[in-house]
Amino acid sequence: MINQSLSMPDTPTSNTSPNGYRLVSIGQHAQILIEKEAIVRNTWLLLVLFFASIITLGSGTMAISPKEVVDVLLGQGDTMNQFVVKDLRLPRLLAAIYTGAAFSLAGCLMQTMARNRLATPGIIGIDNAAMAFAVSSIVGMSVSLAPSFMALAGAATATALAFGLAGGSGTRGYRFIVAGIGIGAIAGAVTQLLLSQVSIDVANSAYPWTVGSLSARDPFMVNTLSIGIAICVIGCLLFSRQFALLPFSDQVITGLGANIKHIRILALILCITLTGLAVAVAGPVGLVALVGPEIARVLSRYRGIPLISSALTGALVMMLSDLFGRTVLSPIELPVGIVTAVIGGPYLIWILVRRSSRSSL
Amino acid sequence: MTFNRPSFKKILLCAGLAASFTTFAAEHTVSTKYGNVKVNDEVKRVVTLSEDALDSAIALGFKPLAAVATRGGDSVAEYIQDRVGNISIVGTSRQNNLEAIVAQRPDLILASATLSQDQYNILSKIAPTVVPKSPGIVTGSWETIAHVYADALNKTDEMDVILADIEKRASALKNKITTKLPQNERSATLARWMPQGPVVMSSQIFAPDILASVGFEINDAGVVKEGRPHSSPLSLENLSKVDNDWLFLATLNNEGNAALEAAKTSPSFSRLNVVKENHVMTVNGQLWTSAAGPLAAHAILDTIETVIDKKMN
Amino acid sequence: MQSWFLKSPAQRPLFAVLVSALFVLALCCLLSLLFGAGGLTPQASLQTLFGNGSPDDEFTVFHLRSTRTLIGLFVGLTLGIAGALMQAVARNPLAEPGLLGVSAGSSFAVAMALVMGASTATLTVGIAQLGALIGCICVLGAARMQGQHNDPIRLVLAGAALSSLLLAMTSLILLFDQRAADEIRFWVTGSVAGRDTHTLMSVLPSMLVAAACVLYTAKPLASLALGERVAIGLGHKPRRIRGIIIIAVALLVGGATAIAGPVAFIGLVVPFAARALVGPDIRRTLWLCLPLGPIIVISADIISRLVAQPTEMPLGVLTAIVGAPVLLLIVRSRRLPTL
Repeated sequence: MINQSLSMPDTPTSNTSPNGYRLVSIGQHAQILIEKEAIVRNTWLLLVLFFASIITLGSGTMAISPKEVVDVLLGQGDTMNQFVVKDLRLPRLLAAIYTGAAFSLAGCLMQTMARNRLATPGIIGIDNAAMAFAVSSIVGMSVSLAPSFMALAGAATATALAFGLAGGSGTRGYRFIVAGIGIGAIAGAVTQLLLSQVSIDVANSAYPWTVGSLSARDPFMVNTLSIGIAICVIGCLLFSRQFALLPFSDQVITGLGANIKHIRILALILCITLTGLAVAVAGPVGLVALVGPEIARVLSRYRGIPLISSALTGALVMMLSDLFGRTVLSPIELPVGIVTAVIGGPYLIWILVRRSSRSSL
Repeated sequence: MTFNRPSFKKILLCAGLAASFTTFAAEHTVSTKYGNVKVNDEVKRVVTLSEDALDSAIALGFKPLAAVATRGGDSVAEYIQDRVGNISIVGTSRQNNLEAIVAQRPDLILASATLSQDQYNILSKIAPTVVPKSPGIVTGSWETIAHVYADALNKTDEMDVILADIEKRASALKNKITTKLPQNERSATLARWMPQGPVVMSSQIFAPDILASVGFEINDAGVVKEGRPHSSPLSLENLSKVDNDWLFLATLNNEGNAALEAAKTSPSFSRLNVVKENHVMTVNGQLWTSAAGPLAAHAILDTIETVIDKKMN
Repeated sequence: MQSWFLKSPAQRPLFAVLVSALFVLALCCLLSLLFGAGGLTPQASLQTLFGNGSPDDEFTVFHLRSTRTLIGLFVGLTLGIAGALMQAVARNPLAEPGLLGVSAGSSFAVAMALVMGASTATLTVGIAQLGALIGCICVLGAARMQGQHNDPIRLVLAGAALSSLLLAMTSLILLFDQRAADEIRFWVTGSVAGRDTHTLMSVLPSMLVAAACVLYTAKPLASLALGERVAIGLGHKPRRIRGIIIIAVALLVGGATAIAGPVAFIGLVVPFAARALVGPDIRRTLWLCLPLGPIIVISADIISRLVAQPTEMPLGVLTAIVGAPVLLLIVRSRRLPTL
């Protein structure tokens, strides 16, 4: 469990790397410490993700063989397949991969910071606030912004409120988390209020935003999210050494000469940016943030903080959940948020019922 | 993703038209919520994504290939069921299944006025998609929308005839009702009953519109906000506001009588004059609060006729 | 005697505080009879109260308003006590039936029942109580998890996770039934209006059972607050006490939820206020929770009638807006008080 990178902060400028790690220098000052095993693991995950993507692109109401999918992606194949794969499934697949990665990465960061597997951004109200704002846009409360922008605004508002009310992140972000839960409860109540004020048809059109769905997402938001994820992943890589300190107690971190406050705030900012953007695309699909990092931790045998692996497993979970939702009850689609809840649910109960020792990180 | 969309559309069109023996026919332009849309004059493969579109299309003699399920059911609404034939379901009122729509290879998609821009962007790549401009909640808005669908199907004249027919039937019924009921006994409300109070429907949506056209004076108690289809549950203390001569009580299932009995267990409901006089009519919510269009109008007129025969002797 | 209020909470005479609280409660009940969303003015209501009103006015005051006051009384009572019990057994000031997923459990059960064909007008209490019990059992697991660490946030997180799961499951079953979805839209916002007194009668037996549980466990609970070892040393069986409390909480919350729908944060605010008034001893706070719960629910209900005339604001929304700041207040207090 004890991470070998612990010794690193003592000698931040050293060019030697501990066993099993490789130090990569970028320019003069920036250095990234990369775990060799993680490279192998993540390459495998990427491969799995790739092949699963091909299968996902081929599955649905119209079945397309993997070979045809590859043809289409290379710019060949018949027009019908071109349309189905490129215009319908590919944007949806990308949305799934991006949102899954974002939720899961954010979840991993927040869980590490709070040292609690249940501390995910969705649970602390960001999702709910985004949902309330998006729904208010749909039920026409005199705002004309698109739901996805409203969702983003909602996530930002919730975060700002939680920060303001909690007076900073507090120890392990606890105050922030509880403030978030409170704000989430209010946002949930407001959503219910809004939904009870409008006709069932309008309530229905707001429905995807209350459960989380990947059908016909706003392409602009998806692109924004992809850029956001790229930035955040680079951020995670650059600061992986600092984030490695997050699980330790305040005294240990301060003893190692790092500024705990800065690290926490940085992690929190990354978390919230990722969640906000992902919610703006897909709505509240919070349970991915619970399941993704967990799989990543198992794969990494509980060594270190598997940030990148979390992103990859999250993407995989989201993608397969959406595939399942699309196909299992066809022609009716199950929204992805419901599928992830059904998958994540039993796991969640397992965590809750299990004895304490291993439920902390 | 840079392949040539127009040419693709033509190919789709071809696929659709090949089934019939028509070659390229002339196009006409339909003005919709998302701009002008060019539609073939003689469409064959129509997919309707709203209940009023399905209603209008069938009224005009089309047999849509696919439609969305009505609220509370897994198929189309009951009143229209025996006229649709073997129709595919491509979604619910909450979400459309885009792939199932593509699989139908439609040459025209008629969608609801509330279709979102995101959905439209994708649907319009499948086939010309007609989304009526929502006239808002005003008297006669359903006729405006029916006209847009008729325009898309290139049958405006036929729609005029159909609507005139309905008007004729309504005014005949109006004569009957006005002779039977004096002026001061024709006020009516359409509402749904919730345990914490009734939800009053606006006087300017479809079913109350029809009720008004046959001579009832629709009273929404001034509690429905401008531009809203219905009110929030009205406080029980204000029940006197819905205590008109007639109360049409909509239920979403078929057990209208059970719903009425349930409402009657509430003393605040059973003490209303309209209840005491047995002037409460339970009506099918699928038809009265969800559907719209010429056929639905006829179905509602049917119900009203029965009501008159039963209750107004 | 005059300066009892200036004493520190734990030293205040319980009796004096209780009497004042009862006085406030009586005032709330009176106000609840006088104000409403309808056209009846407070003056006219007062006259009706003295017997000089039209039949319509009498119906409004003596039937509509008095019934909902009674329901408010009941809901406040049960949720307040349930909150106090839950906080005592979890030794956590943040433990609240709503936050911990117990209400979500009964919502889920109610949605299930609606899908199976019940309507909100004829809902049976047992179903909601069963759902609450399932929620409670999951929370029991969470309470075990809390174990030695005694970390209040952890329990709340578990509850929030459980709630979000149950909400998603509720969405799932409602996906297939639009009628239920349409009805539950109005139910989930919580309200004490339009409920009948006979629904109160139907929950009465289970409430008596719950009351018996509370009376039986009050003393052991107080010793449990001093720690597990102390309780065992005094001859109590912590495990059994917890089990009984969990059942009592499920009965209470299930009963309240079946009648009024999920009403958030009452279980958090009431014990918090009670502790602020008479200190942390559960034997004292439990008494004070009796009048405090109804005071909060009834005043929230009065506000809900007045802010959105001629319709009404859902009660659950109002209590959430009032309750969330209290949640923050508890967390912001420098050190999380452990019970």
